[in-house]
Amino acid sequence: MNQDSYPPALICPSCPPAAGPAPVTTKGSNISFVSAAVPTTIIVAGLALAGYALLMTALNRRMGLVLLAGLGVLEILLLVLVGMIVARLIGGGRPAGLPTLIGYLIATPLVPVIAGFWGALERSRWGPAVIAVAGLVAAVLIVRLHEIWPVISV
Amino acid sequence: MSEPIPSPEPAASQPDSTRTGPGRLLVAVYGLFALSASARAGVQIATKFSHAPVAYLLSAFAGAVYILATVTLANGSPAARRIAVLSCSVEFAGVLAVGTWSVADPATFPDATVWSGYGSGYGFVPLVLPVFGLLWLRHCARRAAAQRTSMQPDEARMR
Repeated sequence: MNQDSYPPALICPSCPPAAGPAPVTTKGSNISFVSAAVPTTIIVAGLALAGYALLMTALNRRMGLVLLAGLGVLEILLLVLVGMIVARLIGGGRPAGLPTLIGYLIATPLVPVIAGFWGALERSRWGPAVIAVAGLVAAVLIVRLHEIWPVISV
Repeated sequence: MSEPIPSPEPAASQPDSTRTGPGRLLVAVYGLFALSASARAGVQIATKFSHAPVAYLLSAFAGAVYILATVTLANGSPAARRIAVLSCSVEFAGVLAVGTWSVADPATFPDATVWSGYGSGYGFVPLVLPVFGLLWLRHCARRAAAQRTSMQPDEARMR
């Protein structure tokens, strides 16, 4: 949650440097706030989904609507994050590892989708186990994204 | 692992046996590593190969092994199971060899591979994954063998 620690140039690369104190209610600072909240939410949601899915595996339950709904929420959050990162790239921001970042932007939203199909094909406790992997992977991917481009604050 | 070559497995014995049950989870994790290792190696070889050539080539090799294991585990035919045993064995030997190499001679690895430090950058999943893969394949081979032996009296009766 260190969005306040970024200099204005990092908060909004396309904006001219602020002459006086950084304005609080501009579009730039708004985006910066969201870009810290969404990744953190994804990590929490991914870990919660993984915990719930592992509980289902331990209780010998099959795939259910709750797990699919959780995957849907995770997918929406990931798509929002991808949109925000793409907006920042269009705005002129460039990370050091741009090819890696683009690979992550393509692969990350596919994780819940593929895990949902692969897990739904299984009619045993191992279906939820696949969903648990997807939740953990989503959390790890956010940490990696932060390492690739520290602008994506956690 | 000494199955008679000309006798194909009966259709009743589930050719997809290695991808159901715990195999569902194994294929998912193998697929994840197949994608991440090969994509990472591809980017690194394309953009900065001279920085750490040994590490990047080993990453590409690991990615190929993971792809082979994913495909054969998801297929599950007798021939695919044998290739899966081979690729999981190569994978296990690779993790141990590269892990030891990276600890003994860090200068060769200025950048990490999937297998350096015994997979420490990936939560040591690369170290335990081939063990579970081989255990699961042994379980499936025994199950298939049991089905074959229990099938023979039925077939004899039908004739």
